[in-house]
Amino acid sequence: MDKKAYSNKVHTWGRIWTVTAIAVLFAVPLGIALYYNAWPELNVLWKALISVIPIYWSTAIIEVLTYVPLLGAGGAYLSFVTGNITNLKLPCALSAMDRANVKATSEEGELISTIAIGASSITTTVVIAAGVLLFAPVLPKLTADDSILKPAFDYVIPALFGALGASYFSKHWKISVLPILAGVIVYIFSPTFAVGTLLFITIVVSIAGALAMYKLKIVK
Amino acid sequence: MTDFKTGPLMYGIALFVVAFVIVQSVFFIVKSWKRAREIGVESEKLRQTLFSSVLFSLAPAVSILATVLALASALGIVLPWIRLSVIGNLAYESVAAENTLNVLGSSISSEVTDPQQFSTIAWTMTIGSCFPLLLLPFLCKKIHSAMGKVTAKSKSSGALGDILGAAAFIGIIAAFIARCIAGKPTDGPSAGVMSVSTLLSAMIFTIALDYLCKKKKLTKLEPFVLPIAMFGAMGIAVLFTQVLPPEIAQLTWR
Repeated sequence: MDKKAYSNKVHTWGRIWTVTAIAVLFAVPLGIALYYNAWPELNVLWKALISVIPIYWSTAIIEVLTYVPLLGAGGAYLSFVTGNITNLKLPCALSAMDRANVKATSEEGELISTIAIGASSITTTVVIAAGVLLFAPVLPKLTADDSILKPAFDYVIPALFGALGASYFSKHWKISVLPILAGVIVYIFSPTFAVGTLLFITIVVSIAGALAMYKLKIVK
Repeated sequence: MTDFKTGPLMYGIALFVVAFVIVQSVFFIVKSWKRAREIGVESEKLRQTLFSSVLFSLAPAVSILATVLALASALGIVLPWIRLSVIGNLAYESVAAENTLNVLGSSISSEVTDPQQFSTIAWTMTIGSCFPLLLLPFLCKKIHSAMGKVTAKSKSSGALGDILGAAAFIGIIAAFIARCIAGKPTDGPSAGVMSVSTLLSAMIFTIALDYLCKKKKLTKLEPFVLPIAMFGAMGIAVLFTQVLPPEIAQLTWR
């Protein structure tokens, strides 16, 4: 099978799974409403929705446009169902591709990314399910404010991106300085700026900086 | 009807969602694995990808589990479990629940005891978060094909394509690094001594382990460098909180 034929198949599978996922997603509130005969009042639902839809639906457009090229088709169809893309699926895929020495834009890169995201989705789902079903009484103690382990969970993001960053920055340190600086400047003026939005700025700065450095022969 | 939030129906739906996510993931892993073998990728590389990804995901998964618990006091444990297994994240789910409860004259700080309120929250979370899935069947193939054309062009431009590809990933990582250095996230601790020391520890662990792998030719360890460095840095966060004076450990500048 050639690359294009396989790619077409991935899109067909992805579309079928996505439509099924939408049905599964809506089965949750539908099941609650039917079983408990608890249908929402439309005016209340409408007021609640207009407070979240403008932000979340516009973010969704940006996310689809940004993540699909980075995750590859199979990885994207999987990631958008299970969520937690920026804080887990994307770094996991980047790490796997980096360690396997493959480019995201190659077919091999796409396949490695999909396998990494699949493994990550299963792990997350199983850990959450096991946590809820088996360890629910113990877990609040582990993550409580006075727990000795609380800092470990509080600082997962610095640990995750520090490890991933070191790997990339050691190979491309010249092009890393500018986007970090741009991000820090944004946070100096707007400390609560959403990281999901910031990353579009830092990606553009990073690519523009890299292009300029290439033209100036600072990087080769 | 006080326990409707954790009734058999809710557990039934949750297990169904879990099964769906696992089956979908296994399907894509199997298809990708077969294709990778077809184009000549070694099984060892695929196995290492699988295991290192599992290890890499463990700590963030526990962190996500902690957010399930954070929402459980208001919504019961099952709805947050379902929501954070499909699409959800803490920031989105808590805002959707809070906004719905505000419309109803209540707040997420108190337990939801009315099934109709509970149902309204579930509908708001679902409708609010479904949009990426509605877009994907229409846009994914178009974006993917456009990327293919750009890649073909960048291949002909040689090194520049590689540099720009790396720059895009560095841009993503830079946003999170900047947040650890100077941000004040709404869903985590502010930038300060602990965030920066955890960040630096993870970097040092990664560089040291990479060096060790190269020096001692530990090729089997290479795929696990990142997860090990991540756990090591989390350990440092625990250690520093215990040994540093509180006024230093708790110092934040945002």
